[in-house]
Order: sequence, then structure tokens, then C-alpha cells
Amino acid sequence: MSRPEQLVNLTIDGKQVAVPAGTLLIRAAEQVGVEIPRFCDHPLLEPVGACRQCYVEIEGQRKLFTSCTTTATEGMVVKTQNTSGVAHEAQVANLEFLLLNHPLDCPICDRGGECPLQDQALAFGPGESRYREAKRVYPKPIPLSPLVNLDRERCVLCARCTRFCDEISGDRFIEMFARGAAQQVRIAAGEDFRSPFSGNTVQICPVGALTSTPYRFVARPFDLSTVDTVCPHCSAGCNMKLDMRGGEVVRQLARDNYDVNDAWLCDKGRSAFRFPDAPDRIATPLIRERGLEPASFGEVLTRVAEWTDGARVAILTGGRLMDEDYYALSKLARTVFRTNDLDHRRTGDPGAAASERHAAAKPMALTYDDVETASAILVVGLDAEQEVPILHLRLRKAARRGARIWVVHPRRTRLHDVATHVLCAPGDEARLLTGGADDTLDEALAAVREGGAGAVVLAGERPGAADAAKRAADATGARFQYVTRRANDRGALLAGVHPSLLPGGRELDDVDDVEAAWGPLTNREPGRDTMGILRACVDREVDVVFLIGVDPLRDVPDAELVRRALDNVPVKIVQSLELGSLEPFADAFLPASAFLEKDGHVSTWEGRGQRLRAIRGRDGISLADWEIFASMALACGGDLGFETLDQLHDEMGRLTAAREDGGSESGAGTPPVEVEPGDGLALFTYPLLVDEGRLTEGAEELKAALGQEPFVELHPSDAAAAGIVDGGSATVRTDAGAAELPARVTEHIASGAAFVPFNQPGLAANTLFSGRMVTRARITPAESDPARPEGAEVVGAVTGGEA
Amino acid sequence: MAIFEGERLDEARSIMARYPDDRQRSAVMPLLYLAQSVEGWVTRDALREIGALIGVRTAEIEAVATFYTMLRPRPTGTHLIAVCTNLSCALLGGNDLLEAAHEATGVPVGGEVSDDGEFSVHEEECLGVCELAPVIQVNVANHDRVTPERVHEIVGSLRSGDVPEPARGPAVESFKAASRILAGLEPLAKEGATA
Amino acid sequence: MSESHRVLTAHWHDPSVIPLAGYEAAGGYRALRASLGMSADELIQVVKDSGLRGRGGAGFPTGMKWSFVPRDSGKPTFVTVNFDESEPGTCNNRELVEREPHALIEGSAIAARAIDCHLAFIYVRGEYLWQGQVLQRALDEAYAAGYLGRGIMGGDYDLDIVLHRGAGAYICGEETALLSSLEGFRGQPRLRPPFPAVEGLYESPTVINNVETLMNVPHIVNNGADWFKSIGTEKAPGTKVFTISGKVERPGNYELPMGTPMRTLLEEHAGGVLGGRALKAWTPGGSSTPFLTADHLDVGLDFESVMEAGSLLGTGAIMVLDETDCMVEAARRLVEFYAHESCGKCTPCREGTWWASRVLGRIESGHGHEEDLPVMADMGEHILFRAFCALADGAVSPIQSTLQHFMDEYQAHIREGRCPVTGRGPGRERGGDHPAEDDRAALDVTFAGAGPFEIQGAPS
Repeated sequence: MSRPEQLVNLTIDGKQVAVPAGTLLIRAAEQVGVEIPRFCDHPLLEPVGACRQCYVEIEGQRKLFTSCTTTATEGMVVKTQNTSGVAHEAQVANLEFLLLNHPLDCPICDRGGECPLQDQALAFGPGESRYREAKRVYPKPIPLSPLVNLDRERCVLCARCTRFCDEISGDRFIEMFARGAAQQVRIAAGEDFRSPFSGNTVQICPVGALTSTPYRFVARPFDLSTVDTVCPHCSAGCNMKLDMRGGEVVRQLARDNYDVNDAWLCDKGRSAFRFPDAPDRIATPLIRERGLEPASFGEVLTRVAEWTDGARVAILTGGRLMDEDYYALSKLARTVFRTNDLDHRRTGDPGAAASERHAAAKPMALTYDDVETASAILVVGLDAEQEVPILHLRLRKAARRGARIWVVHPRRTRLHDVATHVLCAPGDEARLLTGGADDTLDEALAAVREGGAGAVVLAGERPGAADAAKRAADATGARFQYVTRRANDRGALLAGVHPSLLPGGRELDDVDDVEAAWGPLTNREPGRDTMGILRACVDREVDVVFLIGVDPLRDVPDAELVRRALDNVPVKIVQSLELGSLEPFADAFLPASAFLEKDGHVSTWEGRGQRLRAIRGRDGISLADWEIFASMALACGGDLGFETLDQLHDEMGRLTAAREDGGSESGAGTPPVEVEPGDGLALFTYPLLVDEGRLTEGAEELKAALGQEPFVELHPSDAAAAGIVDGGSATVRTDAGAAELPARVTEHIASGAAFVPFNQPGLAANTLFSGRMVTRARITPAESDPARPEGAEVVGAVTGGEA
Repeated sequence: MAIFEGERLDEARSIMARYPDDRQRSAVMPLLYLAQSVEGWVTRDALREIGALIGVRTAEIEAVATFYTMLRPRPTGTHLIAVCTNLSCALLGGNDLLEAAHEATGVPVGGEVSDDGEFSVHEEECLGVCELAPVIQVNVANHDRVTPERVHEIVGSLRSGDVPEPARGPAVESFKAASRILAGLEPLAKEGATA
Repeated sequence: MSESHRVLTAHWHDPSVIPLAGYEAAGGYRALRASLGMSADELIQVVKDSGLRGRGGAGFPTGMKWSFVPRDSGKPTFVTVNFDESEPGTCNNRELVEREPHALIEGSAIAARAIDCHLAFIYVRGEYLWQGQVLQRALDEAYAAGYLGRGIMGGDYDLDIVLHRGAGAYICGEETALLSSLEGFRGQPRLRPPFPAVEGLYESPTVINNVETLMNVPHIVNNGADWFKSIGTEKAPGTKVFTISGKVERPGNYELPMGTPMRTLLEEHAGGVLGGRALKAWTPGGSSTPFLTADHLDVGLDFESVMEAGSLLGTGAIMVLDETDCMVEAARRLVEFYAHESCGKCTPCREGTWWASRVLGRIESGHGHEEDLPVMADMGEHILFRAFCALADGAVSPIQSTLQHFMDEYQAHIREGRCPVTGRGPGRERGGDHPAEDDRAALDVTFAGAGPFEIQGAPS
């Protein structure tokens, strides 16, 4: 970073150090390797000076100073507990105060063994207490939510947790109540700690006051082996520490990386760690004879070669493979199967074409740090808290630093307290962002224009939002990023797992670099996107379909189409961790290794490739996806040209590096994306953070804490017109299907729009959609509702997909 | 039924209007007093409704309410007898007044309300009338140079429906009425301060 | 003393100055009119020249405080009047407002004028229910007469003053806690810097002044800095309204020049110790100031002299104890006050005052141990100047000063298992169980399965 910094020189325990003006003494001391004891201090929270543990002596001053609230000044001479008897004595005395009412129940405390209070008490606490009085006692512990428990007896009232909720997440469910010796952390009566960031309070608690239900009484630190990894849940790319006992994951913690996730993790990342060990995991190749029967890789790949020989091949995948896997897949499709019928997207959104090219060609065009330091931020078509939670926190951090934020989205997002929302009917983004259509948005565009390169436009996946936002960014000079949601959608784009893009966002006719590495590419016709492939399957225009790390029955917003496609396509080859709902359809199964078991990279929404290492052995005889692709190529008479990851990296790096000239088209040619005309409301959907997705399997505490029943959300004016009341029951009817759902009536959604979450328990919303994440719906009071018009058809709740 | 609706919602809005537009949170304490003037204490509903009015979470309101001793977290008697036992009063018999107050009202030590619901007794820190110690307050109105006998008399007249004239200012008929004054809503007394 | 030295209390005998008409007839609002014709710099200068120091306890020069307010911050400025008078033993602000409410309004308006403030707040403690009404009525009169509101006194200066009621928290007298409270938060002190003069109420430049301080301002504007300096001492000019309470014949608020010896106040004004008994101990400035003894009767009551004697002038609130009073009980009651009023934010205050109040309670009731005395001595050292704000230092004053002057009384309590002064023995167990403490935790019962915290076992 190039912000000018004025340095001041000071001496700490006799060591000279120069630090930027404004640096706190506790941080300056860290720079010379001196750790001053602290409880309330946290580098990402505002200084508070509450615990008083970090006293230091400053030469020439009568009183001691708390090093967590005192800034370094030129010539200051500081003595910490290491060189000042007075400071040491003050710290010992303060520790005595902190231990007065502490229960000292370390043997049954989850924090035992990794507790700053315990460590300090052992290091220099008095051996025996002089406290003769009765201790404060509280009922213990009290559950704040299904994920978090609070033991007030252990609490040292440092207020890290409450300050996190105030300053970082903005979810002020917990607060300090009462005062004096009765002061305590508490939650409002009858409320749950329903914040998707609640687990961070457990991690930053310096004692065992806040504990995590999934980890409660599970292990001791000395039982654990800890490894570093990256969270597989979304494109935030949070760095994690993963604690395993005997190969089983028992806890996930945030690992500090100030370029990515600061020190935070969302509750999904923290708690949904059981999926790699799901009971239906399959680690053996299978082939359908009479039924699906175990086979060797060689047997299956030989059959694959037979099936694909001269056949019309299409490939569907998802967003959760690694960069290397995608690269190998892209090369396999083009060089071996000679097909561009290849896609990783849920649907393929024509309104994001230019944004995808930009994303594929320009990794790191805009980073977390750019968001944090932006002057003005326009967020379009993205519900950051639900989709990329740590980006949501960074947006809040930007707001705290003074950024002005506007959100253009069909329903209000959790940025509402720090951003101005423009509730926009689905598909109306392009019109609004052209300017002149909405005063608030015009103000936003002016601010973004004024901010120039210091302004930021982030676009999400709502249909039609991305290119509309990109045009606004190009027109104003703001920096732009298309924020794809799944953990490695970005890696798939970079590798060209896309019907009309080669690696690095190259068009199909921009083949020079690619052919230099891959050999001649004969098929230069754009392929079919996900929906096109499925329709082609239905129309028997595809002979073999690969389903790689994807379950279209759950993921694609047209369940009926997928079912017909799977019925009609002759050969279905599944490569994944498990078969799940594809079991009845699969002709062959190739077992892939889980992310814990693989080496490789995953790209954040910024396009930042982060390295992961295998942290446990492969399950069964599973292989990394790219290894399977390499073997498959050989079996089919081709050759991907790499046998090791290093060889693959070498080639991939040349083709997926950022390209100056790439991805610069404005998207002006992108046609406006509109909801199909017709009666009714524009029903849109996207998955909420905690739903019935595969990766939250086994995360029951998480679902209990943050899950919700399905619902349909609509505007009061639309509800009134239809005779629907808040909390009543509504029938949602589309061309694809119907469902009866509880209605949530709120002014925080655009009128004319309605929302259903994509995959809540009891409703797989892909039964309501016809190939896009938006459709027309007629919403009426349900049968059971008194306001229901007579003669309406009775429709039961639809349950689709695999729960 | 909501606490803040109809006329009372208007009153709440008038309280909020005392503060700058973007600083409505400043109205939390008077709004808590207003709620207390209705129920005699700050109920859970009050906390939630005030949170909604100000636009913050219930916990934030509860955090404030539980910080201040004049905002009561549980039901309070019709009349509040507050007895100062801080040093100036203690030196001149404040502790005896506290005992007398418990005795006269029947509020047990450590208890909140007398069985008949008429009285609460609180031991108070300095009430700021040290030169006229020992002092008590009845519904936050001052009684100076009080004796244990006078405490019994005061409680006796409260029982019979008379609120004794305080040392200065008009009598306050109940703790709820005091809370309403503290919310800044009571019409102002006409008389001047008595010397 | 001569009547000419009665400045703030000159009209106390005359209830007619309470309503506006009487206040005007006695020359009221003359200073405000004059100040409207003065520049902000001139106003600040005259207050600086007068040497007026804050009467709330710290004695900071008022004019200097005003001059710290930046002129070009681009934010509004605020005056906040600290009428949260809660220091045990202190009640002069109360009587000053009761007897001449418009004088506070006038002083506040002049302060507002000096920092170009258009919205001022008076933070009055909740327990001052009637005094708040007196002030509100005076404010209404002042608005009606054009002394407040838009274009005051026909000029182009606008000023609103809003009364804000506290709700029972001594800590809100600490200026940053007061601001937190006024903003609708828990009354907990905030870090300085930023200082309120730069970033106070609503993150804007704010001057916070005590009632008595502001009431001096109109007199300074009317009579000039030299006149003010002619009263009191060189370093502490002006008068001080002292409160004397406890064991004296004529307790009350007495306005005397700064520096008047304690003996004069006690014997000439307060009529001596009650019943002619012997003086045992006294606080010069409220509960937060170390006890002095009969040896200190000739100490002048001004900031410097009292400090030299080993205590602090504080709020000028003198509490008098005589030979029949138990000093352990007095210390216990005052420390209990600090434990009750601790905001809970920082460790030494929250835990230290709690611990000290319980140990003192145990000693007082005859359950003390020899080892308690070094603990108490350590406690003083471990709390003093180490807490977040000065509240906890206040708790140290009674501890350290009673240990210093009355160690034999502590030892006798421990040795004899009863009070050597009053003869009271075990039975009246006190300390740390102030009933209101339970009240604050009482909302606990509303949480499923969790009751308020309990005290485990009996004191050993």
C-alpha cells in the first residue's frame, strides 16, 4: 500500500523501533517481539481500555499507561512488564482482580489449554487467592443460540464480543447489561443470537465464557492436529485453521489473513464441516451392469472411451472444483471430446456475458482492500451477507471508514443500516443504471463518478444485473468486479469451463496462445450453456453427458427439465463425492477426492488464487478430479500433457494470467434481460446462506441457529391486491409448478417482485422455475386461507430434490 | 396492546422531537420513563417497542435500561419510598429510616413490592439534600429531616389515600406519575420553589 | 463575611427572583444582552482573565476549556450543562437552581454564545425531579420572553436549550459518561482523546460545564475579570458555595471566598460540631476526597491548600464526623457507594470496589482478619490511577485516608470483633449486598432458566 506514513521513533524495553504515527504501543511492542498481556485489545476492534491488563511504564510519566490505548510518540521510552517492576506489579495486581470472581473451572472448560487467562495466571498469577469473600455465581451456561453458549462466571467483561457485534457485524444481539460487579453479557429476553457471524465472538473470547456447541466437550487442544486450509463454502476464500482429531474434523477457526478475511469466518464456514465425511460418500468407481457395481478406474475409463468415441459429448459441472481441475476439464473437453458444450453455471445468464469475460481475463482487478478503502461503492444484484458473507463484513468496514454505499437489489439486504437501498424489480437494473430513472441512483452514480478509480462497483448473480453494473462502472470510471458466489466459480471462468470462452477469457476464435499449448482447436462454434445442454439432452441431441461435482436435479432452476434430460440422454457419467439423487440415472461413477484430500488452488471472487494442501489421505481409491481427467484423456486416445501438478501449473499459469487487453468490452451489446412478459409478479430466487445444500449436511446446530422454513416474500401493495396477509398462507403458481408457502409481507422488497429462497427444507424452489432464477408467478391466498377466492385449485406443498 | 400507540405514540414522537433528527437515540431514556409511567416498570414489550421506535435492537435498549437505577426492571408499588443511607444521612439516622420504611410498608428487605402492591422501598445513594439530612423521597419528591416516626406517618397517609406535601414542589401522586414527569410530559407546576 | 462576597447566593433570601420578572428586576439577563454585543473571542478572554476554574471537582480553567473548541470543524458545537450533582455530601447546585434558575440559563446561554452553539442541553440527575421542573418552567419563561429560541433578544443569534433527565447513575457526572448517556447509551466513560472539546456530543465539539461554574459567568461579564479576581485566592479566584453536612449544628450551603479556612466555615457559619462533640474527621470535597482530621482545621478551602494538606477540594462538600462515629463504617459506606456506582467497564474499579466494600463490611461487622489490612492497603495502590476514569480513585480516598489516620480503629475492630467506637458487634452484616445491585440484574429472571446472580454462601 502506498499511503504516506509518518514514522515516529521510540524505545521499547531498550529496543529502538520506528512505527507509523498513531500506532498503539501494544502494536509497536509486537514489532520488537514483546508481547504485552491483554484481554480486551483486538487489532480489528476499536481500542477500549477496559481490562487494564496491558499496563506499561512510560519514562517521565507518573502514572502507568494502558498500551492498548496509548499511541506512540517521538522519543517515547516505554518499559513493559519485562523491564519495569511497576508495570509487572500492576499486571499481577490486575490479574488478581480478574481472578477474584473467576470460577477456575479450567478442567471442564473448553478453553482450557488455549486460554489467555489461564496462561497468564500460570505465568505470573499469585499461587493462592487472597479473596475470602463469596464469589459471584450465575446459572451456567445459558444458550445464546443453538451454536453459542454463554458462561457469565468465566467472563472477564472485556467486551470483545459485544464490540464485534457493534463494530464488525452490526448484529447487536448481545450487549452488556447492568453495571458494576453485576455487569454481564446478555441477550434480549426471548431472542436468539441470530447472526451469521456469531461464531467469531467465540473465537475472540479470551476466556471460556463463550463456547461453541459443536465443539463443546469434544476435545482438548493437545488432542488436536491443526492444519491450514481455505473455506470451501463460498467465493470469499476465508483462510481457516482446521482442527482434526484422529482424521476427523472437529472444529474450524478463522486464520488471520488481512488481505482476505481479516480474522473472521461466517458461521457456515465455521460449523459446516461434516460434509466430507457424509455417510453417502462413495470412494470406489462404479459401473452400471445389472445395478451399479464396483469396478476399477481402468474398467470405467475404458467404457467411457467406448461411449464417447464419435459421440456428441456435453459436460456439466458446478462451482466447487479446484483451478487445476477446471483447467484440465476445459482442455479435456476441447482437445479430446472436441466439444464446447461445457458449462459450470447454474443457468448461464446472457446478462452477464461481458462481466464473465472481464472476470475470466482480469483476476484481481478489484480486491478486498479496494473495497475497504473505496470512497463510494455500488452493489448491484448481490445479497452480500447471504451470498459472500465476509465480503459483507468488508463492505461494513468500508462504511465505517466513511465509504458511501448504495445497493441495487430486488429485496433489502443486511447492509441496510450502512447503505442506501434502491429496490429494483428483477430485470430493471439496466434501465435504472443508465441514469435518469431514479434520483437516489443518480446520486449514487454521481458519487461513483466522482470517486473514479477510488470507487467500486460490485455485481452479483441476479439475472441481468452484472452487465448493467459493468456498463455503469465503465461509464463512471469505477473499478468493477463480478462477484460469483460458489467457492470456485471464478476458477471455472478463468479456465474457460464455459461454452464460449477459452482460458483467460479468450474468445473461441482467439486461439493462438491456447493452440500453442493445446495443439489445434477445430471446434470454434460456441457451445451450449447449461440450459442449452439440458434441452439438447431432452431433444436427444447429446449422446453422453458428464456430471462433474454437480447435481443438476438440485442446482438447476428447472427440476422437470433436468429429469427429462436425464431420462433421454443415453449415457450419464457422474464424477463426484457421492451419487445422491443421481443414483438412479448414473451409468458410471468416478470417485473424486474431497477438498481436504487435494492439492491445488481455489480462486476467490477477486480472482485471487489461494493454495490448498492435502491435509489428510484420500478416501478409498478416489482421485483428484484433474487426475481423472488426465487418465480419461489417455483412455480416449488423447493426452492432456501433464502428469504432475507442477506441469499443469506451468501451463495453466501462462493461459490464465491477467490479460491487459482482455475482457474490456463494455457489455453494450448485452441485450436487456427481462422477465418473460405475462401476468403476475416477477418471482426471483437465490439460495440463502444456510439451506439444504450438500455442504451443510450434518451441520445441524448451524441449521437450528440460522436455518429457516421456506417462505414467499412480497410487497404490501401486491399482497393487498391479492388478498394475502403477512403470516398467512399463499399459493405460488408458475408455469413450472406450484407451492403453498407462508407469506412474508414487507415493504423491503420491490413492488411487482416476489422472492422464494432456493432450497429451504420442504421446498426445492427449482420446481417453480423454468431455467432462470426468475419467472412469472401468480400468487393467491392458499386453500386454507379464508381470503382465498372460491374455485381455486388445491395445491399441496411441493417437496423436490434430495433433502 | 402496544404501549406506544395513539396518544402515547404522539407523546413518544414529541419526546423524540427534542433531539436532532439523526440523533433520535438520545430519546431512549425519556421513552423508558414514559413506558414506566404506564406500567410502573419497564416491561419487555416496552423494551422491544422502544427499540423499534429508535431503530435499534431490543438488547441495546435493555442494555441502557439495566444501567440506570431509576428505571425499574420489575413491577413496582404504587408509591416508591426511597431512603438515602449515604454518609451524611447515615450519620444522622438514615439507616433507621430505611428500617422504618420496611417496617411501615411491609416490603421485606431485598423484596420489591409490599403484598398489597402499594409500596416499594429502595435504599438510595446520595439524594443531594445533605444539608437537610436525613432525607427520603416519596415518588421522587423530597422529604427533609425525616424521623422514623415521620416515615410511619407518611406511609400511613399514603395508605389512606393522601400524598403528604413534600419539602419542596408539589406532591407526586405515584411512582408512575413521577415517571411521567421524568419523561418531561407533566404540565408544569404553577407555584414557585419554596424556600 | 461581608454581603459583598455573596455573589451566587446574593438573592437567596428573595424568592421573587425565581420567576423571570423578579430575576429581570434584579438585573437578570443583562449579562446575556452584553454578551450578544461581544465577539466569541472577547467572551472567552474575559472568562480566561477572570481565572474562573470549574467547580465540578477538577478545577480546570473555564475560559481555557472554551478556547479548545475548534472554530472550523464544519460540525455544530454543543454546550452541555452538568447538573448531575451526585457526589455524596454535595448539594449546592440543587439549591442554586432552586433559588435562581434563570441564572443557570443565562450562564449557559453566554457559554453557548462563546462557542457559537445553537443547541445546548442541561443534564439533570433524575432524582432532582422538582429541580428539573423549576428549570423547565424557567426555560419556558425564557423562550416566551425571547431570551431563548430564534433570534434571541431581537438579534440574529439562535439558541435552544433542552432539559435531559438522568436516571440514577453517579458516573454520568463524569463528562464523557454524561455524553454517552445523553446520546442514549449506557453511561460509561469514553476514551480521551478525542476530548469533548473536539469530539464530544454527537462526535461534535462540546463544552461541558458545571452548574456553579456557569452561574459565575454572568457576574464576570457584568463586573469584569478584575472584580472576580479580587475575591478568593490568586490561583482560585471567586467564591465557592460550600456544602457542609453531617455532625454540625447548622448544616447548609455557604458561599465563601475561596481559601476561607475550614475552621471559619465550621465554627462561624455551621455553628460548630453537633452537640459540642469533638471533631473526628471531615471530607473537604465530597466522598471522593480523602478524609482530613481535627489537625487540619486551619487549612484554607481552595484547590492548592487542600491538596497540600493531603486531600482535594473536589466539590467543596464537607461531611463532618464526630468522635462517636465509626470510621470503618464510614469508609465501608462510601466504598459501597463506589461499588454500586461503578459502571463495570474496567477491571480495577468493577472488581476492586466490590472486593474492598466486602472486606470493609466484614471488618466493620467484627469478622476481620489481620491479613485484611495489607489487602486493603494494596487495594488502594492497585486501584489508584489505574482505572479507566476517576470514579475508582474516589473509592481509594476513604480507604487510604482512614487507614492512614485511623489504623488503630481498624485494628481494634479486628482484635475485639466489634466496633470500639459504637460498641456494635457482629449481627449487622453489611457490604456488597446493596439491594439495588440485585435490581440491576433482575432482568435475568426474564431469560429462560436463568435467575439473578446470587451470593454464594455467607461471608467467612
